[in-house]
Amino acid sequence: MKLPLEGIRIADLTAVWAGPYATRLLGDLGAEVIKVESPQHPDLLRALGFQPAGTPNAWNRAAYFNHNNRNKFGCALDLASDAGRETFLKLVPKCDIVIENFRADVLDTLRLGYEELKKVREDIILISMPGHGKDGPERDYVAYGTNVEQLAGLVSLSGYLDGPPQKSGISYGDPVAGTIAAGAAIMGLMARKRTGKGQYIELSQREGLTSLIGEQVLGYDISGQIPERLGNRHPFYAPHGCYPAAGDDRWITIACRDDDEFQVLCTLIDRPDLAIDDRFATSPARHANQDALDREISVWTRQHDREEIFELLAQNGVPAAPVWNYADLYSNEHLRARGFFEQVWHRDAGTWEMEHPVYRFTERPARIRMNAPAFAEHNDYVFRDLIGLSAEEVAQLEEAGVTARIPNMSSHQ
Amino acid sequence: MDSALAGIRVIELGQDIAGGYCGKLLAGYGAEVITVEAPGGGGRVRREGPFANEAAPGETGAMHLYLDTGKQSITLDVESVTGTTLLARLLEHADALVVDGPHLWLDDLGLDYESRREQFPKLVTTLVSTFGQSGPYADYSSTNLTAFAAGGQMAMTGEPDREPLKNGGYQSEYQAGLNAFTATLAGLWAADDTGDGDEIDIAAMEVMAATLEASLNTYCYLQLSALGKRRGNIMSSVIGLYPCEDGYLGVHAMPRNWPALARLIGGDEMANDERFQSQAARLQNEDELRATLYAWAGETTKREAYAQAGKLRAPVAYVHDMQDLYDSPQLAARDYFDTLEHPLAGTLRYPGAPAGMSETPWESKRAPLLGEHNAAVYKGLLGLTDADLAVLRGEGVI
Repeated sequence: MKLPLEGIRIADLTAVWAGPYATRLLGDLGAEVIKVESPQHPDLLRALGFQPAGTPNAWNRAAYFNHNNRNKFGCALDLASDAGRETFLKLVPKCDIVIENFRADVLDTLRLGYEELKKVREDIILISMPGHGKDGPERDYVAYGTNVEQLAGLVSLSGYLDGPPQKSGISYGDPVAGTIAAGAAIMGLMARKRTGKGQYIELSQREGLTSLIGEQVLGYDISGQIPERLGNRHPFYAPHGCYPAAGDDRWITIACRDDDEFQVLCTLIDRPDLAIDDRFATSPARHANQDALDREISVWTRQHDREEIFELLAQNGVPAAPVWNYADLYSNEHLRARGFFEQVWHRDAGTWEMEHPVYRFTERPARIRMNAPAFAEHNDYVFRDLIGLSAEEVAQLEEAGVTARIPNMSSHQ
Repeated sequence: MDSALAGIRVIELGQDIAGGYCGKLLAGYGAEVITVEAPGGGGRVRREGPFANEAAPGETGAMHLYLDTGKQSITLDVESVTGTTLLARLLEHADALVVDGPHLWLDDLGLDYESRREQFPKLVTTLVSTFGQSGPYADYSSTNLTAFAAGGQMAMTGEPDREPLKNGGYQSEYQAGLNAFTATLAGLWAADDTGDGDEIDIAAMEVMAATLEASLNTYCYLQLSALGKRRGNIMSSVIGLYPCEDGYLGVHAMPRNWPALARLIGGDEMANDERFQSQAARLQNEDELRATLYAWAGETTKREAYAQAGKLRAPVAYVHDMQDLYDSPQLAARDYFDTLEHPLAGTLRYPGAPAGMSETPWESKRAPLLGEHNAAVYKGLLGLTDADLAVLRGEGVI
């Protein structure tokens, strides 16, 4: 069966992570995504490839870029020039969706806002995903990845017991915003199919992320109590923590949601005495005596390999999992068994493995159909085949610097 | 105004955070979402406080009030014979089924993949879980915490000299739920297009492993291990969290933001300081720059610094706590919060739309009481009578 979004074409003006993650999901779902990059300011991720100085076409070899832009076509176009803008406006009628993640004022400055796009395609769906939204007093404030989660309220909730707020390990707001945007894009299509009308979708990244801590915000409105930072603990489950396993920087998480799970845990770690200890026998007692309980559990976990603990507990009904890092995941038996790593080939970057699409449809299995575009790789497809420019016209654009075959990487140095 | 998902009916099964959040979003954008709850008290989301009304905790916990907005609630013991039959009858009227429950639960209910394909060819089923429906861990027990560890985000979060840290709330479950939402929409789009439903497997572990910033992808390609270590609150001097007088400031400067940041922390003198002029110079004088940032932050307040940064376009924000969200002039100007009245919980302010849609806006409605829509659904949709309902109630099926 064909992929869910086959036949949908998207003009993608986004760069870095949040926006490209949205179009990565949409591309994985079968949409034809056309990434439009500025010759003067190519996608920053092309500069984050850890390539030795002098590597030819280094901008095409950054894994951070190549993983987030697979299943996309790519062309180079300077939207700030008149000719670039006009060329883009010729592409828009061929597209169902335009998506951008510039700062709030940029698209209007380029005279490519929703009203302008509507003039060339009445039912276009435009998605903007600025940090703060398109209006409000903070709309023009600069906010990158780590700022978004600070503004959203998440960072205030994260942290060790009695410690300061703690940032997430990743720029967490980015993939969250990208996933919301991908969903909103599909809803735009669904509404258009029913009504014949396009629309303007506006996603404030900080607002989107606050949606993922909603019960904490509402809980505060109810109780008036600022939530305490609990480290790895839970408001009422215990044990609920991250324990040292045998080895250096090896950790295992364990959580019991009720007395039954705790009883099983005690049996599995051969500590029946804990199960009948008054301090630990009931959920409220365990919660009140967590420090003592955690010490007892740590004595046992330190003596065992984290994978061995995982198999013993999680297989027998006690939630547990090792704290795996990227390298552990790369060789993880479960991900391997599910075919999570898929081999790809790229004309400059060669052969390696990347993550399989994460939405696993049974009847419409997705795969990586095409690798991330080398810079300007599909200029001819976009400018000649789709828009219908002649070879001479494309050459003129190139001569004027409106498009290019090689990016100017100096803005990222 | 029209809503994006008008005419779509969704059955939600499982009463947990991931499936619950998926259903909440579908409901907010206009789908008719029927959450199937256990008779007697519902599921986990109804048990998490704080509670707005101590006399009615099952109806007024923050988790339930938030995750169940806009849904209809029916009670049904799906594991009873009659319950399974009623569930199947409901599915005849449904476009999508969202399940957040034990592995192979639907199979145990006699609704395995093949029989669903046969009975409900257009149905989109989304199964959301930690490990997915296949692979050696499919049956393993997990929670939000252990899933966060398994997916790779936890290894990167926290201080390097301490244990890895879970971030706030229930982020692995929310991420799974959010992805289930987007995937379900894709399934609905395809089913509408072709008349063929599908089953979608969403694993929290995979969703998180796919979003480890530069670490997993760079490792896949170069086996480079320098990225993705736990680095606490300071990634580099200009990407970090600094304590100020009344809170914490987050700095996140890319090379081109340096002039604006320099002006914020030390005026023209700082902007012209040769020790920090280039990226290479800043790296060389990293310790001094860090010390400068600590000193600057320590003498300012969060709102003062944020307002000044906004004017100068310097990438500095402050850590908003829950009160700061309600006080935010930005969120207020955009009317972000939905004020909803609930008969037992009273009037509260709920975080609103994750994305604004100009023609088909988000609409929030209060969470349902347990079984509030039993009559509407069983009688209205399935054609049962009052007498039937009395029998079902007597047998504990609803």
